[in-house]
Amino acid sequence: MSTARREGLVYGLGALHAAARGDRMMWALHRAALSNGIVPVIPAVTVAEGYRTEARSDRIGELLAGTEVEPFSDEAARRSGEIAARCDTSDLSVVAVVEVAERRNCAVVAQRQAVLRTAASLLGHELVLYAV
Amino acid sequence: MVTKRSVSLDDEVASSVEEAAKQDGVSFSAWLSSAAEKQLRVRQGLRGVAAWEGETGSLSAEEVAAGEALLARLRSGVSGVASRVRRR
Repeated sequence: MSTARREGLVYGLGALHAAARGDRMMWALHRAALSNGIVPVIPAVTVAEGYRTEARSDRIGELLAGTEVEPFSDEAARRSGEIAARCDTSDLSVVAVVEVAERRNCAVVAQRQAVLRTAASLLGHELVLYAV
Repeated sequence: MVTKRSVSLDDEVASSVEEAAKQDGVSFSAWLSSAAEKQLRVRQGLRGVAAWEGETGSLSAEEVAAGEALLARLRSGVSGVASRVRRR
């Protein structure tokens, strides 16, 4: 289903895990983004979750070298918390990814999860997802 | 902390930066600094990719092309699901 053009990419936890396990398509996409002058964005809360759940921190570090880690600002934290409540989820990492995708008009690279679409729907945002 | 540097820009580039900075609501210096920061991230990122390739083998031309095609699809608003690309 086609929708509006996206300006960039936002990485979810699934993107970090894909990079850590050496998913070559993930790395090819990352390379393509950088080669086209696009610096993928990743919410700080997702980075924290990545280091909590992934043993290959060396590979996460290599991926993060070419990303913009977006701090969890007051406003983003408030919006994410409210959306998480409405989605009935405690997974702030996923919600933060959708919040960034909507605000910065990005496509999402993450694991397929129902909460991604629910959160996007609540924000009135049409999710463009590469499910890794 | 801020470091002051004297830089020379092509006239056309300087006026384009001025216009872009005005549109973005930031100063000329802040816009240039942000552009430089982004360029540095791209450079560091490509070094990260090279480091990963050093461990696992370089991306083939086919894999690079597949990555470019996937990026183009996502930017044009088309979702996708992971599929394997053949490694040469």
